[in-house]
Amino acid sequence: MRKKECVAMLLAGGQGSRLKLLTEKIAKPAVSFGGKYRMVDFSLSNCVNSGIDTVGVLVQYKPGLLNRYLSTGAGWDLDADWGGLQVLPPYATQTGGEWYEGTADAIYHNIDFIDEYDPDYVLILSADHLYQMDYNLMLDYHKAMGSDLTVAVKTVPWDEAPRFGIMNVDDEMRITRFDEKPPKPESNLASMGIYIFTWKELRKALLEDHETEGSEHDYGKNIIPTMLAQGKNLYAYVFSGYWEDVGTIPSYYDTQMALLDENPAFNITDSRMHIFSNLHDHFSHFIGQDGRVEDSMICNGCEIEGTVIHSILSPGAIVEAGAVVKDSILLPDSVVGAGAVVERTILNERSSIAPEAVIGGPDKITVVGENAIIEV
Amino acid sequence: MNRTIGLICGNYEIPAYENLVRERPPVSMPFGGRFRLMDFALSNMVNSRIQTVGFITPYRYRSILDHIGAGKEWGMDKKQGGLYFLPGTVSGVRNQNTRFLFRDFLHNLSYFIQGDGDYVLVTTGTMIANIDFQPMILQHEMSGLPVTLMYRKRGEGEKGRVCSLDLADDGRVRAILPEEKTGNLFLDTFIIDRTLVLQLAQSYANLGHMDLMHILRESLSSIPMGSWRFDGYVNFADGKQDYYKANMDLLKAEVRHELFSRDRQIATKIHDAPPAVYAAGSNVRNSVITTGSYIEGTVQHSVVFRDVRVEKGAEVRGCVLMEGTVVKAGAILENVIVDKNVTVSVGTVLRSTGENLCVIPKGASI
Repeated sequence: MRKKECVAMLLAGGQGSRLKLLTEKIAKPAVSFGGKYRMVDFSLSNCVNSGIDTVGVLVQYKPGLLNRYLSTGAGWDLDADWGGLQVLPPYATQTGGEWYEGTADAIYHNIDFIDEYDPDYVLILSADHLYQMDYNLMLDYHKAMGSDLTVAVKTVPWDEAPRFGIMNVDDEMRITRFDEKPPKPESNLASMGIYIFTWKELRKALLEDHETEGSEHDYGKNIIPTMLAQGKNLYAYVFSGYWEDVGTIPSYYDTQMALLDENPAFNITDSRMHIFSNLHDHFSHFIGQDGRVEDSMICNGCEIEGTVIHSILSPGAIVEAGAVVKDSILLPDSVVGAGAVVERTILNERSSIAPEAVIGGPDKITVVGENAIIEV
Repeated sequence: MNRTIGLICGNYEIPAYENLVRERPPVSMPFGGRFRLMDFALSNMVNSRIQTVGFITPYRYRSILDHIGAGKEWGMDKKQGGLYFLPGTVSGVRNQNTRFLFRDFLHNLSYFIQGDGDYVLVTTGTMIANIDFQPMILQHEMSGLPVTLMYRKRGEGEKGRVCSLDLADDGRVRAILPEEKTGNLFLDTFIIDRTLVLQLAQSYANLGHMDLMHILRESLSSIPMGSWRFDGYVNFADGKQDYYKANMDLLKAEVRHELFSRDRQIATKIHDAPPAVYAAGSNVRNSVITTGSYIEGTVQHSVVFRDVRVEKGAEVRGCVLMEGTVVKAGAILENVIVDKNVTVSVGTVLRSTGENLCVIPKGASI
């Protein structure tokens, strides 16, 4: 079947600058999360579990690791002759080359890609959110409401509403106004950055927006207000499940530590979640004769001769004899040397802590950079 | 241009596995947390840049097709070369003592006729070893001999095996001995010129019941053969005792790191199981644990596969717990091999000795 009813476009080009050291060398969607996953796994898995088999991934900032990880899309069953996963970087044309200048601009530059599949609907997603969602339910809603644009929203506490893009709606959930981070919000329905557009409407809006002087080419700031002004049908779709935009170091740390709770709100260890990843082969993990592991999540490829308490160890992490790791997150292939003490620390990929070194403490979150070596 | 094609022989039974092979052929035995025995032969081929591999399947091959599929995990889903399933003959069901039943070669002769390589590297699907075949292939090419047999020196105190080699100083094979008479253990792996396979197929067309090693043994006067020594870790996995020992060997860092070297990875079917969870109060020592497992109790000197639960107060020592095992609260297991999807009920106590291991069969509830 050449035509696709719905094509997903995954925005994966952002820097995620608030994650600082974690995104120094890699794009935010490629940041390791929950041990064996990378951020992009959650939205890609949602696509596959919702039966969406055509996903364009828009990359721009430091895409090396992300491209390698996405590979052919096979890790998510998205390797296909027609459709499947396709990485869409900025490109040059006869009149020169341009970077993606905003979330809407990125899609504008790939109108031809979408047109190839002649879709009725386009699903716009962020590649760095943590949630599980069946997009079919939202698509059904979009169709039932006769909507031109449906925005997924989540009810947030009123005091947090000023941090979000807020949708004001009428009794039928029709969107009446959009406020970006309003100081005095009149609604507590926050946009989740998940949009379903009727493609011909989005296509028209993108072409118009491209010609608009001074536009930031952003969905929230430009596309949505313009469509509202034109009297289009915009509806909010309320999502009640777990959803987190992991934007800062504290939220990156806290959302992962919450995975270790007895009844976590987002339970990645529930195999019914079907979260796919594209992990390379590793042996299982090994706990040594004097090793001790409690209240923790451990991935394959780890070797633990020391003590690990209330921590998450990603694939290939090593804790040598006598070392103590507490309340910490060890990203892939990081090493804690013999006798070292690591507390409340995020060890970035391939970083290593020298034997007997002490790093971190209970008061604040410490981050060790990629490939960094911490000496005594 | 790749000059060597591969052949994995898997059409034989190993009765010493007892009820572990009631529902699966020996090549499909789960091993070391997340692998099956056939992963070693397949990965060794791919890691040695052999791109065309034939797999002679046993009579019961459902689990093999399930595991390998199109061979994607081993990078064998290729336009050029790739993996060829070669259906083994039904004689394999009674084939206990040999590995290279010639009838299976005759039955799949088109693999050798159409193959584009000069040499065929033949191995078995049950041996546990991480071997780079490239140096052996190179030696075979340089020697100009039509056959090269792989062997290793028998280790101190190690038991012998049915086939050993008598070697001249230059490594030429003087005799292939049907029993363990020299310290040179044949490693169930050899390189043979493809044209020689086709010649033998003519000469022995009516003698399909013979084993290819038997044919080579009686042809030694007319076919000169060389040898190549492998010095790394090998476990023949010839039955449940070998199998248990091989699992326990993984508790030694040097064995674990050699077999599952990051440079020459053993690939297997990917399951995307979530990370393993260790509850507060869990007590795990000297053990291999795999993703998807949930540990509340005590696990010592054991190998634990995917999706295993060890509940509070349960004690597991010296065990192999295959995928899906549930050890309920307070149960005690010592020196037991637990096959897949077994539930051990609350308070059960089961101990056996290393000499006479207890096996709990697949799917049982005790």
